[in-house]
Amino acid sequence: MTSRRVLLELKKSDRRDFLKALTASAVALAAGPVLAAQSQPSIRFLRPPGSLAEEDFSSRCIHCGQCSEVCPNRCIRYFGLENGLASMDTPYIIPREKACILCMKCGDVCPSGAIQPIERALEPITSKVRMGKAVVDRQLCLSWQGKTCGVCYRACPLADVAIRVGMLEQPHVLDKCVGCGLCERSCIQLPQAIRIIPDYG
Amino acid sequence: MSLQRHLNKLRWGILTIVFSMLVLLPFIYVYQTFLESHSYDLLADSEKQLYDVMETLTQPFVGSDPENELDAIKGTTWSGNFFGYMISDPLAGLAQFSAGFYFHKPLLLAILIPLVLSLILGRFYCGWICPATFLYELNTNIRLLLIRMGLKVASQRISYNLKYYVLALGILFSAFFGTVFFASIYPPAIIGRELFYAIALGGFGSGMVFFVITLMFDLLVARRGFCRYVCPGGALYSLLGRYRLLRIQRIVGECNDCAKCNAVCEFGLDPLNDNFGQECNNCTACIAICPTDALSFKIQIRDSSPQGPGHLGKKYLHNSTEIALGEGALSNET
Repeated sequence: MTSRRVLLELKKSDRRDFLKALTASAVALAAGPVLAAQSQPSIRFLRPPGSLAEEDFSSRCIHCGQCSEVCPNRCIRYFGLENGLASMDTPYIIPREKACILCMKCGDVCPSGAIQPIERALEPITSKVRMGKAVVDRQLCLSWQGKTCGVCYRACPLADVAIRVGMLEQPHVLDKCVGCGLCERSCIQLPQAIRIIPDYG
Repeated sequence: MSLQRHLNKLRWGILTIVFSMLVLLPFIYVYQTFLESHSYDLLADSEKQLYDVMETLTQPFVGSDPENELDAIKGTTWSGNFFGYMISDPLAGLAQFSAGFYFHKPLLLAILIPLVLSLILGRFYCGWICPATFLYELNTNIRLLLIRMGLKVASQRISYNLKYYVLALGILFSAFFGTVFFASIYPPAIIGRELFYAIALGGFGSGMVFFVITLMFDLLVARRGFCRYVCPGGALYSLLGRYRLLRIQRIVGECNDCAKCNAVCEFGLDPLNDNFGQECNNCTACIAICPTDALSFKIQIRDSSPQGPGHLGKKYLHNSTEIALGEGALSNET
């Protein structure tokens, strides 16, 4: 008799839970458009080198945090809620604060395939890494304003491949620029005369 | 006295080791970055102290190249790297598949070992490894302290099936938004990440808020409520462990119906009535507390059918309020 009563009560609570779950799902579906509206990036950030295009990236990344845990340069940070729910706890790099040194360790350690493993050599890096591309603002750039500088060229890990300097060390960004951000990091102008325009794909 | 009584101590040892590794690894990471920058003289005093401490701690385990050798163990229990082998939570694989309808082969390999172990040992991850369990069980002790101090805390019982709905909803959510949604609501993933954020990146992230809410829920609303009723990982492991081989079973001839096992069970199960089910996480707390050694591990695919009262014949009534009272009356041995 007791067991029957327990069974009945269980069923009742099951039903209640099902209704609760149903309500929750309705709320979730209604929240969809609201959250989707936030999918535009609110700040200019880079993904770690070897990352997939943004949509694939956020569907593959399992938010484990290992890419930062091997980064010897401490440049990989994680989003909180500031860039929308979908990119919460995903890695990003702000080049002005700390730029990527293209050590390629994060791709090796990524278990999810969101960051592809790429060999640390010139050819694989220039052909596969697409973090963004450097753009020079000639109004701000010291060299283009006639004061010889050339810091971005000296900071570039792929000098003469990704960036070249002409007269008065005026920088010209080439097609092979991968967007690591070391030039933006080292630019002595504030606001920076050379910036990485991210390639979110 | 059987040896199995001591398994609970072993379990606490493992939980402590896992948790302290999660605290230690971010410090090791910070030490590695110091090593890699080759600039001891430029460090602040506190950083120099950290450097010295970590150097003495890691010295016995590394050779000539500590920068790279310390990479041997990385990550968290959500997804980690052990001497070149990746190990990930099966929930991570499931969530990634539901987010992108795509299997990443290395991740499949990484979840293979936990998957097979869960099929054999059931929900053992929840009791033996999960870093959140370490904090939740300490939290239970605080709860018992509150009860002993005379504070009224609720012992709400919800249906265990709620967590399967959470799992299903999470999969739907992941598919809908195209993101691995579980990582934000799964305590072991949150703990590992947040400890790293706090130690290496200088501050807790937003996941900590969620975790503290679950702690408060456990403390004031339902004992171990999040793991019992909400945790999606627990739901997955329960499903995997439904036909597990290793089970805790009652020897009816030894049992004296004292019901201590029911009171000590973190998951509110009913060992006294041979009612373990798929929720049992083989944590061995009931084995440790049983005064007559009536509970022990057996290898069988299903639970034994109810065996009735023990040798003294005083059947403990199956009544949830009495179990809730028993929770306060008994101490939870750690």
